[in-house]
Amino acid sequence: MLKLSNVTMEFGALRSISELDLTVNEGEIVSVIGPNGAGKTTLFNVITGIYTPTSGSVELEGKSLVGLDPARVNHAGVARTFQNVRLFLNMSVIENVMSATYGHTRAGLFASALALPKSRKEEKAVRAKAEELLSFFGSRLTGYRWDQPAYSLSYANRRRLEIARALATEPKLLLLDEPAAGMNPKETQEITQVVERLRAEKGLTILIIEHDMHVVEGVSDRVVALDHGVKIAEGNFDHVATHPDVVEAYLGRGAADRK
Amino acid sequence: MSYLGQQLVNGLTLGGVYALIALGYTLVYGVLQILNFAHGDVYMVGAFIGFFVMVGLGGPLKPSVPVAVMILIMFLVAMLGTGLLGIVIERFAYRPLRNSTRIAPLISALGVSILLQNAALLLFSANIRSYDTSSYISSTLGFSFADITIDGVRLFVLVLSIALMFGLARWVNGTQVGRAMRAIAYDRDAAVMMGIDVDKVIRWTFFVSAALAGAAGVMNGLLLRGVSNGMGLVPGLKGFTAAVVGGIGSIPGAMLGGLLLGVVESLAQGYLSTNFSDTITFALLIVVMLLKPNGLLGKRAIVKA
Amino acid sequence: MSENQVPEEIQESAATEAAKLGIGTDEWVAQHEERIARKKGIKGLPQLINESIPAWARWGVLLLISFAFGAFVDNQYLLRIGVNLGLFVMLSYGLNIVMGYAGLLDLGYVAFYGIGAYGYALMSSEQIGHHWSTWLTVLIIIIGTALLGYIVSLPSRRLFGDYLAIVTLFFGQVFVQLVLASDNITFPWAEDYVDITAGANGIPGIDPFSFFGHKFLNIRDYYWLLLVLVALLTIAISRVNRTRIGRAWRTIREDALAAESMGVMVNRLKTMAFVTGAAIAGLAGAIFAAMQTAVFVSGFDMPLMTMIYAAVILGGSGSLAGAVMGAIVMSVLPEVLRVTNYSEILFLAVLVLTLAAVGKSVKRFTINIVGIALIGFLVKILLGAASIKTTPTKEWVVGPVSRALSHWMYVPLDRVLWGNCAFVILIVLIAYFTTTTPRIKSILLPVIGYLGIFLWEVRLVTDVNTTRQLLIGAMLVVLMITRPQGFLGKARVEVL
Ligand SMILES: Nc1ncnc2c1ncn2[C@@H]1O[C@H](COP(=O)(O)OP(=O)(O)O)[C@@H](O)[C@H]1O
Ligand SMILES: [Mg+2]
Repeated sequence: MLKLSNVTMEFGALRSISELDLTVNEGEIVSVIGPNGAGKTTLFNVITGIYTPTSGSVELEGKSLVGLDPARVNHAGVARTFQNVRLFLNMSVIENVMSATYGHTRAGLFASALALPKSRKEEKAVRAKAEELLSFFGSRLTGYRWDQPAYSLSYANRRRLEIARALATEPKLLLLDEPAAGMNPKETQEITQVVERLRAEKGLTILIIEHDMHVVEGVSDRVVALDHGVKIAEGNFDHVATHPDVVEAYLGRGAADRK
Repeated sequence: MSYLGQQLVNGLTLGGVYALIALGYTLVYGVLQILNFAHGDVYMVGAFIGFFVMVGLGGPLKPSVPVAVMILIMFLVAMLGTGLLGIVIERFAYRPLRNSTRIAPLISALGVSILLQNAALLLFSANIRSYDTSSYISSTLGFSFADITIDGVRLFVLVLSIALMFGLARWVNGTQVGRAMRAIAYDRDAAVMMGIDVDKVIRWTFFVSAALAGAAGVMNGLLLRGVSNGMGLVPGLKGFTAAVVGGIGSIPGAMLGGLLLGVVESLAQGYLSTNFSDTITFALLIVVMLLKPNGLLGKRAIVKA
Repeated sequence: MSENQVPEEIQESAATEAAKLGIGTDEWVAQHEERIARKKGIKGLPQLINESIPAWARWGVLLLISFAFGAFVDNQYLLRIGVNLGLFVMLSYGLNIVMGYAGLLDLGYVAFYGIGAYGYALMSSEQIGHHWSTWLTVLIIIIGTALLGYIVSLPSRRLFGDYLAIVTLFFGQVFVQLVLASDNITFPWAEDYVDITAGANGIPGIDPFSFFGHKFLNIRDYYWLLLVLVALLTIAISRVNRTRIGRAWRTIREDALAAESMGVMVNRLKTMAFVTGAAIAGLAGAIFAAMQTAVFVSGFDMPLMTMIYAAVILGGSGSLAGAVMGAIVMSVLPEVLRVTNYSEILFLAVLVLTLAAVGKSVKRFTINIVGIALIGFLVKILLGAASIKTTPTKEWVVGPVSRALSHWMYVPLDRVLWGNCAFVILIVLIAYFTTTTPRIKSILLPVIGYLGIFLWEVRLVTDVNTTRQLLIGAMLVVLMITRPQGFLGKARVEVL
């Protein structure tokens, strides 16, 4: 479904991603791991059109994403969350989700101003859809909070809301940037289930950046390890987790030998 | 040929003044990432201070001290006065808003600008004052080569503005505060962690930036332009344009932008139309922003996601 | 309200222990924000009004009053104020879309108003000799200003925040300069110069509106037109704000990059905001020109721009009710200030309110008033002893308040000089006041109060325009520091 070949991303003299090849197949859950600064978030930014890669190609279902602006990449079927949670804090919880339907709704300025029937119908559908998506998280994000501003949510709920918002764009491919960061063990475990359910119930293909190895082990079909922008290992969890280069990348030179 | 040369010289003089204003924008932008809207009005205050110092020293016709000393005092007092004004503005209009929304300091600065303009109107009335430079600096002073004449005032302004720019460069690179300022501009959080006293550096930055504007104001007066409460708006815009054209945040960029703008404006006035020079400057700004959004010498802005 | 809500909520959704805890935490966080936002006393008043009166009631009452005003008021002067208010509301609405919703700081906004006015003037006067039908002219203006809005919005695609502000400010200046300079355009191929805009002289003799053979000769006609327009705009804009486009505008204000990643076409929406705002301003400009039957470019310069900004920000950017409130304050206040009788009373009211707000207790308030009175007598004695010449009472007494004060105030002959000194000292003292200890504050307060009264009677009361602008400037700064969301706006958080 997603195919990166030979992607390089440079910032001046700094190479954040170096000649990376990556394929994600339909229905797969792939984890990207690597120490801080390895280039994982940069990878997401390249896929979603925030950065244009210095060289190489990014394709979604055979169509190139390179050079598209982030909105168009989203319309092509890629949605994401952000490592540092970027919600529309002063809008209500439900509006956060509703706003993300922009790409596949049509009502224009005049239709809304005149409250034409088709605009009203669309609005109703959008609201229903947002409610449905928020209900995906069960009691965590239920009713009475929907009309409160997003800033009133707890950290974990902000992360959940961000996922709901990404889902509202009707993606085929979902990119999750450290969805379990800052969550307690219980919530982390829930996230693992959420990722599973996203594939099972929504039929999504998922690329996930995660530091928590329990989550990575729990969800991934395949794991890709990056270090200094270079892919150092790829395969199932056990293979990657015990790969000497990966251990070295995390624990420093020599650690692999000692083990 | 001589006409062109003359226009170029005039343009460089004007450009020196713009560059000084532009430097003020760039310095403040560098440390705080805010646009100091009130900067043009600080420049206006500088011009007024220079004027009243001149009057206080006996006026243009019979100054009580030698002319050179008078001009020196005018510059010193104006720069000191506007420098302090800059500190006060920062303290009351910007510091309380440091953790506020992005739009808040802009609005607050707009308020300061309105306050300064109308305070000046109340205090000094709407009369347009003149430095009357020609009565104490002879217009025959200066020199000429080929067919180009550079009169004394222009030469003085040009030399002084270049000297001030050099002084600034020394300050930024050679003093502890200057280096701290660059550190903050580069990475504020890291600078704080290194124990740099951010408040102090910001105070200094505002002092220097406003003092440069004050000097520019006095120069404007010497170049025989009228001094009035609304005089800051257009030069403020031009100064900002210069800063943006050069690349905001970049000190050499502001200098280059200022000189370039002065020359372009002077040529436009000389060859195209005197009435539409601001329009032409504006067009230049738009073109540069569309072609090189980060300015001629600016660094690429970093998008963080 | 949330006090007894928490246990209920917990009961309702007590699925698991963890869920309970989660909700409790959330609720606490929500309350925390609320607790911070909720202020006591006078400062809490805006919020109280906001919460206790439902929106439809507010708008209904407003509509009723406006209707009654149009139906029963016969005074031409008052009607004119009403029309100005209507224009002001339109302008505030337009700016509210650009700045309040989309978060774009457009400081050239007033130029669109001017372009609308000049556009109408050129198509309906002897300046060029066209007298086109009102329908056609207004249509051309709406389309024309929208198109210009589109062009100005193009740099906004690359720029944000401060850059955009300056580019648009420059655009506004260029408009003024172009109008001023376009009375004398020479072309290389033509002998004579061409006069398009009449420069600083302005364009007189503009035709009033005329629809279906009905000429708008009475100012009341414009009042009704504006009332209808504003009512329609209120409904339309609030609908847009609640639905797809409005939501998308607000996402841009909140976080443009995140919005773009969620599929919002940021550039197109920025342009749309600009275009809508410009068209509204252009329409308002055309109405203004037709009503005034003359236009001068000086009326579309920075002072008006700052007034519109002050209106939107004072009311609370992003809120239509706020825009109306701000417009009322900004368009009625100058009229009140113009009549010295009223302005004196207003000043006194503001002073007393400020003292009450700062003083907090009745005791302190009394002390302050007595302090001010004592300082007044002291000054009178001192200046009298120094035999400084006074201005004859009848020259400076302008109303009941100053008449009452005339036995107490000492007004020197050289009012400009003394007023200036008082002004400078006052500013220095206020600056010092905000940074000093409570003890010194309590000593300073009466002094500041006295200087305020002195300055008002000596200088400000006769200089309406400057006073107004000074007040606006001070208000913008103080508002940004104390209540950046404005009177009716919601508090915002922003993570930088
Ligand atoms: N816009 C940018 N400009 C310069 N350097 C960047 C930029 N974005 C990321 N980098 C650099 O790329 C490297 C990888 O960063 P990132 O992808 O955020 O790492 P992580 O794997 O922790 O998510 C870092 O060294 C970072 O400083
Ligand atoms: Mg990262």
